[in-house]
Amino acid sequence: MRAFSYSRPRTPEAAVAAFTDAGAGARYIAGGTTLFDLMKLNVERPTHLVDVSELHGTDLIETSGDVLRFGAGARMADIADDETIKREYPLLAESLWRAASQQLRNMASVGGNLLQRTRCPYFRNGAGGVYPCNKRDPRTGCAAIDGLDRGQAVLGTSDACTAVSPGDWPVALTALDADIVVLGPQGNRTIPIADFYLLPQDTPDREFSLEPGELVIEIRVPRTAAGRASTYHKVRDRESYAFALAAAAVALRIEGGQVRQAHIALGGIATKPWRSREAEAALRGKAPTRENALAAGRAALAGAKAGRHNGFKIDLAANTIADAISIAAERSAS
Amino acid sequence: MTLSSNPDRPRVDARQKVLGEALFAADQRVDNLLHAMTVPASIAKGRIRAIDSSAALKVPGVVRVMTFDDFADIRTTPASRGAYGQPGKGYQPMTGPDIVHRGEPVALVLAETLEAAIEGAESVSVEYDEAAEFTALMEQDGAEEESEVFTRLDHGDAEGAFAGAVHKVDVTYRHPQQHHNPIELISTTALFSEGKLRILEGTQWSSALAGGLAGMIGREPQSVRASSPYVGGGFGQKNGIQEQSALVARAATIMARPVKLVMPRGQLFHTASYRPRSLHHVRLAADADGKLAAGLYRTEQQNSRYDGYNPLFGETPPRMYGYPNWAGEDRVIRVDTQTPGHQRAPHEHPSSYATECALDELAHELGMDPVELRLANDTDTDPITGKPYSSRHLAECLRRGARMIDWGRRRREPGTLRAENGDRIGLGVACGNYKASMSPAIATLRLQANGVCRISLSGHEMGQGLRSVIAAELIEVLGVDPAKLDIRIGDTGLAPQMLTAGSWGTASVAPAARAAALKLRANLVELIGRDDFEGPAHVQLAKTRRPMLKVEIDTVPLGEGPQALDNLRRGLPVTTGPEYADFMAFSWIAHFAEVHVEPSTGRVRTRRFASVIDCGRVMNRRTTESQVKGGVVWAIGAALREIGETDPRYGRVLNNDLAEYLVPVNADIDWIDVEVIDEPDTRLNLSGVKGAGEVAMVGAAAAIANAVFNATGKRIRHLPIRIEDLLQGL
Repeated sequence: MRAFSYSRPRTPEAAVAAFTDAGAGARYIAGGTTLFDLMKLNVERPTHLVDVSELHGTDLIETSGDVLRFGAGARMADIADDETIKREYPLLAESLWRAASQQLRNMASVGGNLLQRTRCPYFRNGAGGVYPCNKRDPRTGCAAIDGLDRGQAVLGTSDACTAVSPGDWPVALTALDADIVVLGPQGNRTIPIADFYLLPQDTPDREFSLEPGELVIEIRVPRTAAGRASTYHKVRDRESYAFALAAAAVALRIEGGQVRQAHIALGGIATKPWRSREAEAALRGKAPTRENALAAGRAALAGAKAGRHNGFKIDLAANTIADAISIAAERSAS
Repeated sequence: MTLSSNPDRPRVDARQKVLGEALFAADQRVDNLLHAMTVPASIAKGRIRAIDSSAALKVPGVVRVMTFDDFADIRTTPASRGAYGQPGKGYQPMTGPDIVHRGEPVALVLAETLEAAIEGAESVSVEYDEAAEFTALMEQDGAEEESEVFTRLDHGDAEGAFAGAVHKVDVTYRHPQQHHNPIELISTTALFSEGKLRILEGTQWSSALAGGLAGMIGREPQSVRASSPYVGGGFGQKNGIQEQSALVARAATIMARPVKLVMPRGQLFHTASYRPRSLHHVRLAADADGKLAAGLYRTEQQNSRYDGYNPLFGETPPRMYGYPNWAGEDRVIRVDTQTPGHQRAPHEHPSSYATECALDELAHELGMDPVELRLANDTDTDPITGKPYSSRHLAECLRRGARMIDWGRRRREPGTLRAENGDRIGLGVACGNYKASMSPAIATLRLQANGVCRISLSGHEMGQGLRSVIAAELIEVLGVDPAKLDIRIGDTGLAPQMLTAGSWGTASVAPAARAAALKLRANLVELIGRDDFEGPAHVQLAKTRRPMLKVEIDTVPLGEGPQALDNLRRGLPVTTGPEYADFMAFSWIAHFAEVHVEPSTGRVRTRRFASVIDCGRVMNRRTTESQVKGGVVWAIGAALREIGETDPRYGRVLNNDLAEYLVPVNADIDWIDVEVIDEPDTRLNLSGVKGAGEVAMVGAAAAIANAVFNATGKRIRHLPIRIEDLLQGL
């Protein structure tokens, strides 16, 4: 880790100004659970940190209107424990409490969580010059593609990068068509979550559609009746404190025994939070039987591309979607 | 005094540990300290061409950057890391420009603060001449099989019996590389006090650390004192001198200031020891009634090019059952990696995994219940030497464990027992053994008339509860109040310190503490002229108006002579067993696992575990049960989670942190029920103790793998068993 300077402004506007003043080496820091980790690994080397953990009015949790509003500074643990969210949007609550550990959830902000960087071990551990990585050091190559790629993505990959987008919360937000409100040097703008994350293509170092200095202020989720019949189903190598091998965020509106509306997104298997319109289309108008659920799961993975050791994730993800559909359908019935 | 069964008692140091008052080596306050940080080699093999320290020296707070020029006079000796006592083996990094494994230290940065040391280390730039080729894994072409078989154990005509048998299995199991990952990282602090070089390090063997370092850095052995106040997870990784120990000691000498290095976890995956990859070819044969006819067991272990780590897989499996014919051989395969070493049940865990799974395969082939197969081959004598076992209650362990897990539910046909949610339920059994060893020990015991009791003794507290074991004997013999007990161990300034490993800590320390207490009691009896008193001994002492009594004692284990005490004092290995003049001695255990496998994902959950241990007399029920539970948790990790993943192109462990090197979390663990046989083995020692810490884990991973087969019908012959192994076809 390198020495850096540090400021702790009190308003979002002052934070953006501090970032702009500090120039190219600036980073925002909230809970610090990703950035500090990567600084210790020498992957991130900021020269200035703008601490946004004490900005006024950014820890909002507003669940009463037509749009759910979450201040970027709200803690993962607080939303995971919110009674309304647990009751009416179980997929949001589950995506949070199935992530990380309680200690990390107490620290991490939901805005910062959107920007969590990949767990690809070649990305994280190569700062000493061991592994080439196009994401860490553009145009140096990718050690993962011909390497130990058990955890790598099978959807949205490119010849330059197969790193998995690690988040859970962003997957649930993707399923529910969330909007991300950001403040930048040019003022406010709202980015649909579908446009917030970039595919790696040949520039895997560009992961988000944020412009320099833009700060996530708020996350907005349109209210939906499908929220109650929802789940975030996460399959991993151990029961807790692990990243997903495959995860499915599913929210359903079921009427007369048929799925009228389906929101399906995938985590743990793609280079960005992965909305599957194919799975939604496959399920719409059908009864949520095991057979139809599996068909939807397989539809989501139709374009998947296996590497050397991660082929199992294709079947696993399809089954995970199917299991998630069953759980969501059960919640619709109850 | 006759041996009594020990009541349940809290650990004597439980309160201090919970409050954080038990200070580990790196926690000790040292004034005027320099912080050290290593620069790890970023190549797997080659030579340093140049080191540029100029940027590091500009970091505020950095005092000096040391390179191999500063350490060229450190000698590699049989005490060095990886030598395992053998001349010509082992390796001390930074004594020259050659790089023999990735991650070895190539520079040592000294700074006034830890932050400066870290930034300084990241600022050192090293140029290498990288070797054209290196070999990272035993399966690769460049791996070199040692021409000589390391160990061979033959009894009867195993090949002939196998060839002639009707029921047999011929299977190969693979075990991955695993890392200890102690919570207490490996640290070394070197300072000067009272004219001696003092080393603070969480080690399992402070006498070898002190004596070995003296030899490596050219000091008189008496001028080095090593203290290991607590060890926060040893499990074999802290048996000996570390790659960093001599560097820190030498740096403190050069700088004439105290120096501390806490090796970061990411570097420990390469600088510290670990359990190496191994391959196990097992052939077993039996007659139609399930009587074993032959066992043939051939193993290969991945080693570094230079280490002396012996492949002893074949030692214990032939002792499990009454094999009339046995043939075993263990080989070493050398590659360009860091040296492996002992990790809890070092060879017994992998060998029991392979052989106890193979036995389960044989039971299936025979159509016989695997518990019945084991009972049918129970034996009171060691098939290899023909000597009787000092004690063996394995059959009772099996019968009790079967009741605890409700073994009668098990169906012979795999995959037929289902949970309400559709999960496949499997039950599995496996057994384990571990040699009963002992070390000499030296103790000084003082009892004051006011009840204060102090004992200085050989041995290290590693969380296994050694202080509580010592306390148990003093409480029983002298009626000491645990709150007035001062137990001093792990410090060469107080008593010569034995290697505390191999499950012999309790069997060595309890008899020494008991012998000291009995001697003190005898002296007291002589003083007061009666031996019929009850209650605390210090009350009787107070009546004599003498302020205190003091005794010194040394204990030599069965079959050893005075030379053993000399070796103990010199920091040389002295242990006994499993073979003694009149018998063989082992601890025994039976493990039962119930797993649930989710058909849509292949996820395995270990829902229940039942273990019954025969470890001789139980000195502290709570720490013994904790040992077994810890062993089972570790085995759940070994069976289903743990693997050090090395990319052969780079030779580096890829998942080198606690987030990616998966060990079980609380949510992975359900019920673990432990019962103890608690029968003293008085042929072995005064306290009737065998040993629990290692045997606790032996066979437990096999019980899980066997349960997975019973649940799914799939024989997965490698560890860990993961989702991709079971996903298809459930």
